[in-house]
Amino acid sequence: MRMDALKFVGKRLLLMIPILIGISILTFAISNTIPGDPARLILGPKATPEGLEALREDMGLNDPLYVQYGRYMGGIFQGDLGQSTYSQKPVSADLIRYSPATFELTLFAMVITVLIGIPLGIISASKKDKIADQITRIFALIGVAMPAFWLGLLLLLLFYLKLGVFPGSGRLDSGMSPPTYITGMYTVDALLTGNWPVFKAAVMHLVLPGITLAAITIGMITRMTRSSMLEVLKSDYIRTAHAKGAPENRVLYGHALRNGVMPVITLLGMAFGHALGGSVLVESVFSWPGLGRYAVNAITYLDFPAVMGVTLLIAILFILVNLIVDTLYFFIDPRLKHN
Amino acid sequence: MALLEVTNLKQHFTSKKGVLAEKTIIKAVDGVSITIEEGQTLGVVGESGCGKSSLGRSILGLVQPTEGSIKFKGEEVTEMSSKQMKELRKDMQVVFQDPYASLNPRNTIRQILEAPLIIHKIGNKKERKERIESLVAKIGIRKEQLNNYPHEFSGGQRQRIGIARALTLNPKLIIADEPVSALDVSVQSQVLNLMVDLQQEMNLSYMFISHDLSVVQHISDKVAVMYLGRVVEIANVDELYSRPLHPYTQALLSAVPIADPLQKRNRIVLQGDLPSPANPPSGCPFHTRCPMAVKECASIVPNLEEKSPEHFAACIRV
Amino acid sequence: MLLNVNELSLSLKRAGKYSKILDQISFQVEEGETVGIVGESGCGKSMTALSLMRLLPEKALLEGEVNFQGEKISGYSKRKLEKIRGNQVSMIFQDPLTSLNPLHTVGTQIEESLLLHTKMTKKERRKRVLQLLNDVGLPRAEDLIDEYPHQLSGGMRQRIMIAIAMACEPQLLICDEPTTALDVTVQAQILELMNKIKKETQMGIIMITHDMGVVAEVCDRVIVMYAGKIVEEGPVLEIFQNPKHPYTQGLLDSIPKLGQRKEKLGSIPGTVPAPENMVVGCRFADRCSHAMDICRTVHPPMIGIKENHQTACWLYEEGDEKDGSIGSHKLEAALH
Repeated sequence: MRMDALKFVGKRLLLMIPILIGISILTFAISNTIPGDPARLILGPKATPEGLEALREDMGLNDPLYVQYGRYMGGIFQGDLGQSTYSQKPVSADLIRYSPATFELTLFAMVITVLIGIPLGIISASKKDKIADQITRIFALIGVAMPAFWLGLLLLLLFYLKLGVFPGSGRLDSGMSPPTYITGMYTVDALLTGNWPVFKAAVMHLVLPGITLAAITIGMITRMTRSSMLEVLKSDYIRTAHAKGAPENRVLYGHALRNGVMPVITLLGMAFGHALGGSVLVESVFSWPGLGRYAVNAITYLDFPAVMGVTLLIAILFILVNLIVDTLYFFIDPRLKHN
Repeated sequence: MALLEVTNLKQHFTSKKGVLAEKTIIKAVDGVSITIEEGQTLGVVGESGCGKSSLGRSILGLVQPTEGSIKFKGEEVTEMSSKQMKELRKDMQVVFQDPYASLNPRNTIRQILEAPLIIHKIGNKKERKERIESLVAKIGIRKEQLNNYPHEFSGGQRQRIGIARALTLNPKLIIADEPVSALDVSVQSQVLNLMVDLQQEMNLSYMFISHDLSVVQHISDKVAVMYLGRVVEIANVDELYSRPLHPYTQALLSAVPIADPLQKRNRIVLQGDLPSPANPPSGCPFHTRCPMAVKECASIVPNLEEKSPEHFAACIRV
Repeated sequence: MLLNVNELSLSLKRAGKYSKILDQISFQVEEGETVGIVGESGCGKSMTALSLMRLLPEKALLEGEVNFQGEKISGYSKRKLEKIRGNQVSMIFQDPLTSLNPLHTVGTQIEESLLLHTKMTKKERRKRVLQLLNDVGLPRAEDLIDEYPHQLSGGMRQRIMIAIAMACEPQLLICDEPTTALDVTVQAQILELMNKIKKETQMGIIMITHDMGVVAEVCDRVIVMYAGKIVEEGPVLEIFQNPKHPYTQGLLDSIPKLGQRKEKLGSIPGTVPAPENMVVGCRFADRCSHAMDICRTVHPPMIGIKENHQTACWLYEEGDEKDGSIGSHKLEAALH
């Protein structure tokens, strides 16, 4: 059984390779067909043709695309993602610098999603058509339907400008220095080093962007949990549980929950991807110094190596999360183990 | 010449559950030979997984058989071109178990019945109309109901419509796969009676596939009993039901609860469950549950042999 | 008396309005007795079973009385009823695969009844589960306890369902089509097991089925239902040999019987009326070849034909000992 799980994970990891190659080709092709000349962007409007040409040659932009791609992939295997044309630093260094902020935000959003979305869905299903269900469904619908940037602006307006209860930008209060670097995620690092004032500030800063990012995923998860639980509650084995004399709560949490949460776990993997993508907008609204903002800058300045780096990183993360989800399934559902 | 002659038919499926699983070969049909004469009914009976439905599906050409020959009116079906197959469709039709699923819910009964005629370019509009109307009269559905949709009919009526659809092209052979299993008994008898009447009227042949031994006995002239992809016994219906030779047939017959509290029988209760067709026992596939099995049964694959006139069984013990 | 059901009616909400699924059902079950409830789909036999323990959909309207061992359990609170479910009254359902929780082991699922209704220790429970598995004829109980339903065959799963039902040694067992989803050789095994259990315990059994063969094999008494009403009731032999109600007669006549081949099966024309537009008068009148005017206007009451044999049909009178041959004086009277 454990061997099966290992084999399963190993196989899935191997499957990642062609997917990643596909993604890299796609991104590489797309970013190189976008009109615009990185050399001109770097040198500015007053650049001379000779200077441009020299820079292009220097950056390898004159080589055929497949040569450029080959060179890029060759670099990747040595841990070299190229040089960001905008920040003038190695892309890998930039990614290491910016990604912890994004991880922190996305993870925070996912934690809220799980802690709010699943219980709301369960309540909604167990109180079907009652007032609690109606309210939950309306909020879930709003969450799914509302554009993130707009919700972000609303939250800023209300809680930052009007009420002043939560900070509106950045990761820490101004003048506060970050905690000792361990993971790069301020809340985690502050907690590990016992730096309480920084921890509090970091959490406070996470609240508004976190909620903004989580609004859609909470809506998604609530709706999925509700419909999946309703489906399960109609099933024969729930009737069997009732026929055994199991009280309502035992039926709900002992029998229905595990079955009902299965499709939700799959959706959580998707929701994570959604949140990663959503961070691009949310980080811009809240001036959050993460991958999202880095990506926006990179695109604006046609910084191809940076765009490629961010895309690949997000793709890997997304695949990994889904691998974790599938592996979880493997352990939760005995039917997979024996087939 | 028999209308349908199936020789040593094999239908093997390879199944792979998930990325990790080993490939397994399921021998759904493993060397079946049967014949159906014109105007006769062959009942095919067995429990789930015995391959009776797969047999029907390969004869219909819905799946390509792995091995063996299917001759319809003397012509080899397995080697037919798609054009020939289309012609064959006129002569060989199918009735499925679930009348709910096999009728398109968005079409009226008229459209459903007319479709085969249009596909095969038979008759003009007026002739088609006449043909359909005479057909529904046969199955006891009023002309006015032709413009209704399947959901407006009861289960029994829908199954009769399914039969009418099979009859539109004047077929010679109908393969009926559990045609009355989804119906209540009082309705089931309506459909069975209708099938018998139509057979006499139109000189039809049936291959009647069912798990229900009583129903098969009622409608068949000849009965084949299947177990794990093989025919274990085949004989005329009265012979088979009164003198079953194969221990599996005996057990099967004795297992059926009879709707008569006075009739007490010696029941042979088989031990254990049906083996999986993916992993059938060696030798005689029945030896693991057989009350008569001896050591040789685990190694010898018994052939279907004529044990008494016109009565074939695959068992070394009889 | 073990179970006494008195004028039980059930309405379910369908497409916005309530329609009556069960209409004033009354019957009794004695200790040690097996009562069959037969009828075709839509007759309300399964709903009767679920109504007894109130395992109904949310929008269900239940009227009438259910008395179990002299207690009026139809008036019980949900909590009080849960103490009886699975403890004194158990149920077995049709499809053993979907009726078992796919994520719990066999052992856990059997143990749950003990956990809910007894004060056994963990060790005692395990011992009892192993013994139950043995009782229902499952070998290698020690391994089985840790297996999941999908690893078992259909027959084994139904044995597990029986083990769950038997865990607390109930006084009443309600079986809803327990063998319908099974192959005939496996069905024979399960029926054999049920007959064994019947012999060994003093349990009352309600056997709900559409299969007259199953009735003949395990039941002592039969209740025939049609469109939410009981139309006939009597000892099993009496019902099979001397059926009175035209529906019972038609039903028995339409079954192809093994070993008795006949040219033409009997059949009942038409179909069961839908509960949404239920007729006044006898519900079978539209399909009945003996229907009279009174049948279409007044529903016939249940009358005793002879001891223990009752039917609801205008063809008969109280104490009518005439056999089922139609054309009794009642019919003649109606014609004049």
